[in-house]
Amino acid sequence: MSEGLPASAASTFTDKPAVLSLRGVGKTFQMGEVAVEVLRDITLDIRDGEFLVMVGPSGSGKSTILNILGGMDQPTVGQVAYLDQDLTTASNAELNQYRREGVGFVFQFYNLVPTLTAFENVLVSTEIARDPLDVDDVLGKVGLADRKHHFPSQLSGGEQQRVAIARALAKNPRLLLCDEPTGALDFETGKKVLRLLVDVNREMGKTVLVITHNVAIAAVADRVVHLRSGEIVQLEENDTPVPPEEVVW
Amino acid sequence: MSVLNRKLLRDAMHAWGLLATISAIMALGIMCFIYMRSSYFNLLLAQNQYYAQGRMADFWVDLKKAPRGEFLELLDIPGVTEIQPRIQFAATVDLENVRKPLNGLVISLPDRRREIINDIVLRRGSYFTEERHNQVVVNDAFARARDIHPGDTVHLLLNNRRQELVVVGTAISCEFVYLLPPGGLAPDPQHFGVFYLKESFAEEVFDFDGAANQAVGRLAVQWRDQPDALLADIERTLEPHGVTNVTALKNQPSNRFISDEIQGLGTFSTIMPAIFLTVGALVLNVLMMRLVDQQRVVIGTLKALGYGNVEIFAHFLKLGLIVGLIGAGLGEVLGYFMATWVTAIYRRFYEFPALENYVYPGVYLTGFAISFTCALVGCVTGCRRAVKLRPADAMRTATPAKGGAIWLERIRWLWRQLSFGWRMALRGLFRNRRRTAVGLFSSMTGAALLMSGLMMMQAARYLIDFQYDYILRSDIDLTFKNEVGREALLEARHLPGVDHAEPLLAVSCTFIHGPYQRKGNVLGLQPQARLTVPRDIDGVALRVPETGLMMSRKLAELLHAEPGDLITMRPTRGLQKAVRVPLLKVSEEFLGMSVYADITYLSRLISEEFAVSGVQLEVTPEPDIQTAFYRELKRLPVVQAVNAREDVIHNLEETVLKVQDTFIGLLILFAGVIFFGSVLNASLINLAERRREVATLRVLGYTERQIGGFFLRESAVVNLCGTLLGLPLGYFLAYLVSVSYDTEMFRFPVVSPPFVWVVTVVTGVGFGLLAHLVVERQIRRMNWLEALQVKE
Repeated sequence: MSEGLPASAASTFTDKPAVLSLRGVGKTFQMGEVAVEVLRDITLDIRDGEFLVMVGPSGSGKSTILNILGGMDQPTVGQVAYLDQDLTTASNAELNQYRREGVGFVFQFYNLVPTLTAFENVLVSTEIARDPLDVDDVLGKVGLADRKHHFPSQLSGGEQQRVAIARALAKNPRLLLCDEPTGALDFETGKKVLRLLVDVNREMGKTVLVITHNVAIAAVADRVVHLRSGEIVQLEENDTPVPPEEVVW
Repeated sequence: MSVLNRKLLRDAMHAWGLLATISAIMALGIMCFIYMRSSYFNLLLAQNQYYAQGRMADFWVDLKKAPRGEFLELLDIPGVTEIQPRIQFAATVDLENVRKPLNGLVISLPDRRREIINDIVLRRGSYFTEERHNQVVVNDAFARARDIHPGDTVHLLLNNRRQELVVVGTAISCEFVYLLPPGGLAPDPQHFGVFYLKESFAEEVFDFDGAANQAVGRLAVQWRDQPDALLADIERTLEPHGVTNVTALKNQPSNRFISDEIQGLGTFSTIMPAIFLTVGALVLNVLMMRLVDQQRVVIGTLKALGYGNVEIFAHFLKLGLIVGLIGAGLGEVLGYFMATWVTAIYRRFYEFPALENYVYPGVYLTGFAISFTCALVGCVTGCRRAVKLRPADAMRTATPAKGGAIWLERIRWLWRQLSFGWRMALRGLFRNRRRTAVGLFSSMTGAALLMSGLMMMQAARYLIDFQYDYILRSDIDLTFKNEVGREALLEARHLPGVDHAEPLLAVSCTFIHGPYQRKGNVLGLQPQARLTVPRDIDGVALRVPETGLMMSRKLAELLHAEPGDLITMRPTRGLQKAVRVPLLKVSEEFLGMSVYADITYLSRLISEEFAVSGVQLEVTPEPDIQTAFYRELKRLPVVQAVNAREDVIHNLEETVLKVQDTFIGLLILFAGVIFFGSVLNASLINLAERRREVATLRVLGYTERQIGGFFLRESAVVNLCGTLLGLPLGYFLAYLVSVSYDTEMFRFPVVSPPFVWVVTVVTGVGFGLLAHLVVERQIRRMNWLEALQVKE
């Protein structure tokens, strides 16, 4: 791993177009009478097809960045663009369209609809997508073909997270945004989920962004962004990503 | 089915208990709407058709006697289009198998059938034939009640002669749809019937050759709604013949009762559903807010997946549609059966050719629309909250509920007295203001509904008691055909079994005070009469003044007269000499508008020494002696009507009060659904929100009963406070009803004995406790270990 340069440093993916780019992004929350600045001057390009991991301790602004990247929140200052589309000036409807087609989310606590089966939880996303994948195929790919009629309460944590990944994948987005995808899982299950994400990136060519507080996970990434107190403190390239099975935490 | 709809159905099934109670409240509203609207149209349709078919009169004129030709002069008055003189008399009926003489009204009809005003509709047998002159058509209800069939004979005392009449048919008439006996409150077919005689026969037996004492007439369309001026003209024209009464259709008792009922149904078909649907919508609103809060992460996820606001809004709105659909569906089915049942009850009281329950598509569609609208309105705030939720916020754990001190805590000494459980309950109530407010409102509404219903029931009982226990205390009242002398009183005193007899003199008069005038009767009573005792509002007996008049409050109000004023009194019979008499006292009465005077004083006012038009009797209860008494009575030609107090009361109990009790039973059930539904909803939502708290308390060693107690405290405070607030509201509603029913015919007293208050509170608390049992069961069944692990 080489010591990276801040922000727009050169990378092995520099020849690829930026799927998402942030320019001078800042976010301030008003908590009563106190203004809390959670992000400060973030400039970053996320390149097509890369596996990017963003690490940082609690309160470093990871989730806020993810929310902004996912079109769920707007920055207070700066610009965010998805391909040629400026997300900072996008209307609610445009942001919605972006969430619908551009990105897929994977959450730490899976966020499955408890009253829907695994199959139906995936269906939730394909029903509104323009060019979805076959739900059975996707469930097969995440290894849940035989568990598809189970409700979330009947699935293990790892299985639930795989359903969540299937749900994110099935609408065939360009980009997968994963918020602590292994955070709620045990070590072995976490590694399996990580393997799945790597496969999605390598085999399906999806851009994957994982945010985590777990530094060890950074080993599987093409690039790693280190966040602290709302700022990018380090951006490193990883020319030799490690297979998830070899990661230890 | 789309996957979101599947989720919705499962959500709905998950919350089925809550949705069912809300749907039940909505269904009650829709049921009330459907049955009241349907009954309204059923009655209106039956009334309109029947009035058109029977050519219902627009006015009735009663007078002593006039040649038929004189009546026909009324046709010269522009606006009077038809006039039909007839003979009408009260008569006693002597049925062989009936001990008592019964009362009848005799009306003449043309010998040959032709189109007439107030035409009869034959039910059994035929119209008069040429065969005999003493044929009679009996009103169908009386015939049914007394098992009289065509071919039977009945005996009537007509003009002092016992006449044998042959029944040729039974019939109903549009003027007697609601056939009230004189002075009665409810139809009494056991004791009162109408007897239609051939005109020629009536003229013969009453010595009315070519004459009549009543006319019914019709007016040109433009006068029908405003007939008063025309009726004044009619009265003036016939004045020389001693007009005793001119009655417009709107004041005709039968029509008045039906029209009031129809109007009442029209009004209540708006009020009652509004009450239930408002409560339903508010409770639904609370549930929706809870559901959205509970599903905030799901909402956030859906938004993150790209679901738009419209889709999210529609998704939650559909839950309202489900409630609306169940409410409407259930309400409409129940409403249909209720309407059928209520219409059948109306058939017991109202004699229409056909009174059926029809399905009015417009009413049913409106029911659906109302149900949906209310459910959607109930959902909208919840849906808006779901839409407003920003996906990023939705993912974050919700900010903990406000946990600060409530204002009550500032009253330190009070707060210190409270146990931990009470403090928790009160904090809960103050923190969930919306839910508390909805709970209060629901209980208040339930209590008000019940309180006003019970008060109206009590009002009817009080009215009957006041009238028949306090004012009229005689066992038997005899009415004579004409004024007679003191000897009739003496004769009555000598009838077998008579313990006490008091004379009565009824003089029909026109009372005039300044520009105001009203027709009515003055009742002459003997000094210190104890069988008719006028009362004041508190039920205290009033002594009839030796000179001057005592008048019922309603009549005094209508005449704008007060004690001390001089009233002009013009008798409608005899010399019709107007006299000015002082009004000395005002009495209270709920039926009719009586005026009392000393009998000797009144006799002198009509230029008699001592006149009697009826007697009131106290009769020994011994059955054998009573049989002898009635046997003698049947032979007395002077008697025109016999009224037994026990029959009147029995009839009212069997008809009006019984039906009323059924409706009150339903009302208690309806109010119960509101109490039960609102308490259950609030408690279950509370429980769902505090699962982790309950689990923690279980870990700390609290028993299920103790934890239930915390919830009970909250629901009991809301339920009890709401119920207590509902009491004055219910009282006020009953007061409004009493004000709106303040008519010349009858008034509703505002009475609220302790029973009413107690039943309301007990019902409120009872149904609240019943709902709490469900909550306790939920607490017992809760998997609290799982609840502890759930990520909020």
